[in-house]
Amino acid sequence: MSAAPDTATLRAEVRDWLAHHVPRGWREAMTNTGQDAFVELQKNWFTALSAAGYATPHWPEGWPGGGRSLTEQKIIYEEVARADAPRLILYFVALYHAACTLQECGSPEQQARFLPAILDGQIWCQGFSEPNAGSDLASLRTSAKRRGDVYVINGQKTWSTMAQYADRCLLLARSDNSGVPQAGLTYLLLDMRAQGVTVRPIHQITGDDEFAEIFFDDVEVPVTDRVGEEGAGWAVAQATLASERGLTLVELCQRMRRGLPLLAAQMHASGCAHDSGLRRRLGALSAQVDAACALADRYLLKRISHTEAPGDASVVKLYYARTLREFTRLGRDVAGLGGQYHGGFMRGAPQETGNWPLDFMNSYNWSIAGGSNEIQRNILAERMLGMPREPKDWRLGGGG
Amino acid sequence: MLDLLTELEDSADQVLRGMALAPADAKLWPQACELGWLLVTAPEELGGLDLGLAGACALQLALGRYLAGASYLPALLAAEALCASTLPDRQERLARLAAGEDYITCPLVDWRPAAGHGLSGMAMAVPAADRAGQLLVVAPDLVALVPLAAAGVTVTRRATWDSTRDLFEVVLDGVDTNMCSVLARGAQAQALAQRLAVVRDFGLAADAVGGADALLAMTVDYLQTRRQFGRPLAMFQALKHRCADLKADVEAARALLLDNLQRAAAADDAATALLAKGARHLACAVYLQVAEESLQLHGGIGMTAEHPCHLFLKRAMLGEHLGTAPGACAEALAAPLLAAQG
Repeated sequence: MSAAPDTATLRAEVRDWLAHHVPRGWREAMTNTGQDAFVELQKNWFTALSAAGYATPHWPEGWPGGGRSLTEQKIIYEEVARADAPRLILYFVALYHAACTLQECGSPEQQARFLPAILDGQIWCQGFSEPNAGSDLASLRTSAKRRGDVYVINGQKTWSTMAQYADRCLLLARSDNSGVPQAGLTYLLLDMRAQGVTVRPIHQITGDDEFAEIFFDDVEVPVTDRVGEEGAGWAVAQATLASERGLTLVELCQRMRRGLPLLAAQMHASGCAHDSGLRRRLGALSAQVDAACALADRYLLKRISHTEAPGDASVVKLYYARTLREFTRLGRDVAGLGGQYHGGFMRGAPQETGNWPLDFMNSYNWSIAGGSNEIQRNILAERMLGMPREPKDWRLGGGG
Repeated sequence: MLDLLTELEDSADQVLRGMALAPADAKLWPQACELGWLLVTAPEELGGLDLGLAGACALQLALGRYLAGASYLPALLAAEALCASTLPDRQERLARLAAGEDYITCPLVDWRPAAGHGLSGMAMAVPAADRAGQLLVVAPDLVALVPLAAAGVTVTRRATWDSTRDLFEVVLDGVDTNMCSVLARGAQAQALAQRLAVVRDFGLAADAVGGADALLAMTVDYLQTRRQFGRPLAMFQALKHRCADLKADVEAARALLLDNLQRAAAADDAATALLAKGARHLACAVYLQVAEESLQLHGGIGMTAEHPCHLFLKRAMLGEHLGTAPGACAEALAAPLLAAQG
């Protein structure tokens, strides 16, 4: 780290800015509301944060808003969480997945073209999973056939968060069927306004429709919008996933820590603040939340110092997902029968809204999406603990 | 700071690696004294290394990893108390303690006062009292060194399931405080007692993280070696996933320990006490979880006395009851959250 940042000054600056800019009553405004109101709130909030330089503290040195130390990033996240500001869910994929992928694997031309657009409010989605390619991502079948200066895309993607609003898609498609599954994948930056793209939102268990299916019917993508070489898409996709597993979690863990008072308030409201069993669960949980924060911080420091080891990101994501489940489960237990009354849902909800059944159900986002807990356990066991992979050649009734 | 700690942990690791698991005190203690491990937290002006609590925890991590006896932490607490005292000969006393000439022990749980004249009460979980000259008593309004040979002192060895630690009970029945060296009284004693509880809880957390880490590595090694159904057990996903969860838990407990130690360096007394309790609570819970699972993952061999798996389980079971008890830790951690919202 360079010279010690004047942390108190930055904190005061951010806190003061937030006091004047966080949209008042945004939680109420987002509860039981329509899509348009949600999109407008997100756009206005992004524009304000981005102009202040607080939307991209995780970006590298030399990029707009970037080059912040871990200490500075944490101050910004802590203050944003303390001010109970909305999360930039609509811009999440643009700010993390797209930006980090471009940083690691994009050409200088692509960086010059897309980074300003992202800062300008371009919305991105991720086109990885398919109906028959979830955890087994490499088996995906959406095809990218080279024809002159373009790839022609046909197929279907699913679980694509905010795809219905997106301008661009991080698309992983199959350009070759001949070798091992991973070898035939190509990574493209697809224009969601291109002809042949159809998006169908998916109605979720919470009432929201945060994610969608995307259908591609002879969609053309210029070759210049390919990231990395043809057939090198798997490696590029790992950069995207690593950003999700590691970098995003500093902010999410800080938010979870700031959410602990919500639980305490719920215990008072439910009249169980003297129940020693629940008090102890709260105390034990607070240590776990602190541990999740510490893990996320240490991971980020490793990224900054290029000392990341295989499996590190999986430890952080798995521990966060498990802790978030416990956090929301305790809220659900404390809220009791009253918590089960359906008070509606919040659009684009952060993980800790205090609507506990909603928060509990939403916690599955983190144990399923971006590589499920089970996939993280495989990665951790195989790459960090050195335990062998299961044999691949499974035959019905035959055994290994 | 982290590099220094890693170095310290590694050097302790090298000393311990040459000995069998659960090394005898007689073998380890002379080396520990020679290497200055007891002076790790003492300030330089008293001849110490001034590496702080984090330095002590780095050593305790290694001691936990090799199931070393429990003599180190009491001596460290005694050193801390001597340094905080105003005794004119504290530096000489510290030097004798550090050189292994004058061992002072201390209970690893809170002192239980009893009614009576003089100093009365009971100390449970006192390590190595058989070779100690004095007992550090940390009562709410008095911190004192009590000669174990004084009238009214009874020392009883209490065998525990955990054979890696040699524990005693010491009962004081009306011991004359004029026979003791008083280190602090009143408000100063309270502050010192709080400080000593912090050192104790952090030390126990470090011991647990070290033990959990070593045991998990041993368990994974075993699963790699043992073959059934024509393949190593380590290939079965049902077992891999359990190990992965345990690994995440161990890494979380370690991250919390290091983070809390770092935060404690800049925190006030009340916040520091909470940081120590948080680290101790998670680390001891994780150690027990790893130990319970490891016995199951070892299968039948884990039930045999010749295999070291049970040594870790017994140490983790005892560890759950040392320092601030888990219920009290959890209550203490919840209290400020609830008070702020009440």
